[in-house]
Amino acid sequence: MFGRYDMDEQIRNLPDSYFELVDQDQLADGALPTTPIGFFKDAFLRFKKNKVSMFSFWMIVFIIILSVIAPFFNRYSYVQQHTQLRDMPPRIPVLEKLGIADGTRVLTNRRKANIENPDLFPPASVLEVFNHRVVNGVEVVDAVIDMYSYRNAKDVYFWFGSDYLGRDLFTRLFWGTRMSLLIAFFAVITNIIIGTVYGAISGYYGGTTDMLMMRITEILAGIPYLVVVMLFILLFGTGMFSIIFALTVTGWIGTARLVRAQFYRFKGREYVLAARTLGVPDRTLIFRHILPNSVGPIITRAMIAIPGAIFSESFLAFIGLGLQAPRPSIGILLSDGQKVLLQYPYQTLFPAVLISVLMISFNLFANGLRDSLDPTKRGEE
Amino acid sequence: MPSSEYLLEVQGLRQYFASGRGKNRLVVKAVDDISFGVKPAETFGLVGESGCGKTTTGRTIIRLCDPTAGRVFFDGREVSGRMTNDLRKYLTDNIAMIFQDPIESLNPRMTIEEIVGEGLKVRGLKDKAEIRRRVVEMLVKVGLNEEHATRYPHEFSGGQRQRIGIARAVIVKPKMIIADEPVSALDVSIQAQVINLLNDLKEELGLTILFIAHDLSVVKYFSNRIGVMYYGRLVEVAKGDDLYKNPLHPYTRALLSAIPQPNPLTERTRQRVDYVPDRDHDYSTEQPTMVEVEPEHFVLCSPSELLEYRRRIAQNV
Amino acid sequence: MQDRRHVHETRQDDTILRVRDLKVSFRSYGGLVQAVRGISFDLKRGETVAVVGESGSGKSVSIKTIMGILPSNAIIESGEIMYDGKDLTKVSEDDFHEIRGKRIGLIFQDPLSALNPIMKIGKQITEALVLAQKMNPKEARGQALELMNAVGISDAERRFDQYPFQFSGGMRQRIVIAIALAGDPEILICDEPTTALDVTVQARILELINSIKKSRNLSVIFITHDLGVVANMADRVNVMYAGKIVETGTSEEIFFDPAHPYTWALLSSMPDLETKERLLAIPGTPPNMIFPPKGDAFAPRNKNALKIDLEMEPPFFKLSETHYAATWLLHPKAPKVELPEVLKARIARMKGGGELHA
Repeated sequence: MFGRYDMDEQIRNLPDSYFELVDQDQLADGALPTTPIGFFKDAFLRFKKNKVSMFSFWMIVFIIILSVIAPFFNRYSYVQQHTQLRDMPPRIPVLEKLGIADGTRVLTNRRKANIENPDLFPPASVLEVFNHRVVNGVEVVDAVIDMYSYRNAKDVYFWFGSDYLGRDLFTRLFWGTRMSLLIAFFAVITNIIIGTVYGAISGYYGGTTDMLMMRITEILAGIPYLVVVMLFILLFGTGMFSIIFALTVTGWIGTARLVRAQFYRFKGREYVLAARTLGVPDRTLIFRHILPNSVGPIITRAMIAIPGAIFSESFLAFIGLGLQAPRPSIGILLSDGQKVLLQYPYQTLFPAVLISVLMISFNLFANGLRDSLDPTKRGEE
Repeated sequence: MPSSEYLLEVQGLRQYFASGRGKNRLVVKAVDDISFGVKPAETFGLVGESGCGKTTTGRTIIRLCDPTAGRVFFDGREVSGRMTNDLRKYLTDNIAMIFQDPIESLNPRMTIEEIVGEGLKVRGLKDKAEIRRRVVEMLVKVGLNEEHATRYPHEFSGGQRQRIGIARAVIVKPKMIIADEPVSALDVSIQAQVINLLNDLKEELGLTILFIAHDLSVVKYFSNRIGVMYYGRLVEVAKGDDLYKNPLHPYTRALLSAIPQPNPLTERTRQRVDYVPDRDHDYSTEQPTMVEVEPEHFVLCSPSELLEYRRRIAQNV
Repeated sequence: MQDRRHVHETRQDDTILRVRDLKVSFRSYGGLVQAVRGISFDLKRGETVAVVGESGSGKSVSIKTIMGILPSNAIIESGEIMYDGKDLTKVSEDDFHEIRGKRIGLIFQDPLSALNPIMKIGKQITEALVLAQKMNPKEARGQALELMNAVGISDAERRFDQYPFQFSGGMRQRIVIAIALAGDPEILICDEPTTALDVTVQARILELINSIKKSRNLSVIFITHDLGVVANMADRVNVMYAGKIVETGTSEEIFFDPAHPYTWALLSSMPDLETKERLLAIPGTPPNMIFPPKGDAFAPRNKNALKIDLEMEPPFFKLSETHYAATWLLHPKAPKVELPEVLKARIARMKGGGELHA
């Protein structure tokens, strides 16, 4: 009933030589059958399985690459003004043939006479006239106007249109992305460094040290953020440094709390105690034994903080505390765009889409990172 | 004063943990006035249930916590006083510790070579090749091999990891080892490997061991003398055989009666004894003290209990 | 050796649960972990079957399969678990609710994680009663108090409104047992119920399980690695190694007349209160179940391994009506290998009644 083999002749008649004792002499353990797999490799293997996060990752890479090379795609720079070509709609070669981004604009409620006046509107620029009606005895029409031929700039292409000074928005958008990303990266790196050191000291020593240090962070966190930022900008003027500083003033507190919690969690672990009984000095304990084990949450935290920093920077720009003109950032573009949102919605649309994609990508990427760096899920399918 | 008989002597050690402030202040007496001594090259077993303070005792001796009161002497020098760099060095050079959890006690981000070699590094050995040589030598001694040195802890089984923990403790050549439940997290077939290894190392290096465990069979097998702890107090100290033949304190008797033996015949008829402190002792008029009832056999008892215990020993012998 | 009559006999008498050739594997990125590699056993009404083995031997996986609580990366490759005319490996999750907790109760190793920390324990027991027996809440309360008394929780009225953290480990395990009993099951599966407990508490919990088993005529599957506990609890014992049952028999047969070298090693590797001699340690470590060894899985750690052990899996050889062992040492052509001296001495001591303390 139990075995796989039937009790048959075959088993009874196995050759005698099979039944010799094997001379086994092995007390030491053999080699391990598995190949060594490091923590990050394992995390990477699991990260790769997460399709959404992988996609977000490539999206971020794509946007970063664009922010570096896109400004060289055309001959405009982000400061170059074309006073004749203000607020031009987007016009992209190839796509214009399909009727998308073809540099046209719909003018509504115009006097029919004006539209038909070749001095005002060159005939080639009026593509379509529709919606004929009479208002107060005046003939009124709507018209689709090819802005580029209207402004007599047939071979000019502003891919994403131009702004109120006639600057190319495509170049400005990716210049802005570059600035926003730089600000975010620097702010986050500073936050992580300050937060980690502060949190590590607070968490490792505990007791009174910890209590004092945590009270300080609470006081800092209690000061209204905007007031601090305004003071900073009053003191140092607007510019990248002030903004990064403004983002750092309170930004590191979250990291410090996270790292402190991690240290509280790990400092009582037996391997830390074991190292202490060997006489390992505090510095080594902090940086060699505890910190590497909390690196997962810290990385994840950094990745989540980046879109936060981008958003904060945009917010500051939006309320007028951004970079100095003419330097663009996503926030400045949005702020400029919303002033003419109803007339020229594309001026808001492109930066809005970009910042949304960027933030969603960073968040999804961070989620995937968190899951794959979670040591409890190690080795799982 | 420390007695010259003992390598490690603990006198009236107390370790209280306080939490909360003011009205909410709660004091847990993890270790409450215990005294014992460990002779050179002896294994002293400390046995008791979880929460009885045996682990805290070990950790306080090696100064992972600072004692609330009491004194600890190692080789004649007091090691319970104010922590100085010199004292820290003295302690870490002489006493090493083996921990319970084979997963928790090895840093997952360090290779075996780094883990085992750390003690050497801390002691100022800089020569990488020399560290490597001594680590491999130690690994071979605990039944592993050179190939294992570059691996990470999670690739090993529980027993292997515990042997790595032992290698880490022994490589710095301590005089004494505090082994805190070194086998209780291991599978049955692996426990024997680790116990045998500890026994071999003890013989070879002349180690003195403070062996902390909750499994009385293992403690009895491994130790020369045994101390039984109950709620922070040491209730009985005796040689293994004496303790087993003449358990005097009612808690020791309860503990002995509760151990399941791998023997279906006796198991089916086994009578368990309960220990209920309020029923078993009357300490309303007399306070218990640690008394030597027979040579090397100490019990926590009141004078009237002492008479009873003496009588019982006389009957048994 | 094989005995087909045995099958018919067990069918006629009170076999309540029948496991046949069960194979369970887990997907992991290292490969397929073959956790259970074809086990078969019977559970009869009113008896306690112990499954002994080390961690990774597949004992927990097999009972998880019986309970239908395997994790999602597990695959039941083959085999059947017959209970009440149904094959539990094929029962859908919806129908399993009718069995799990009602007909088959489970007691976990860690009582704290088995209880909801923010729910009063009385509520947890009544909830189980309402779910399993469709009682109205009022009846359930009375029944719950009765259950609490039955599992030895004194002052049940007062403790009814307390939370799990207010109980000690042993008391929590009693609550878990009460919840397992709420559905009035006929099979109780205990997965190392006392491993996390102190010795004195363990003894009390074992006594409780034994007395409940008698009073309710339960059939018990008891998973453990502690041979002392096995001796205390079991009528029959299955010894598992590397995903297979290597020896099965009554308690007496396993403890006094063990036949498989792994059982020998288990019995002689742990000291008892009278052991003085050097322990007989099993060298090496259990095999990695992604790459289970060819032939007898225990052979690489076995001092008495035969050449055939490395080639071919041993079948079950019959020692008595109830005692089977899968080792080539029982083959007529195999050399006579004596029990290890340590074990011989110990068995003699055990049979002598072992002047144990009481």
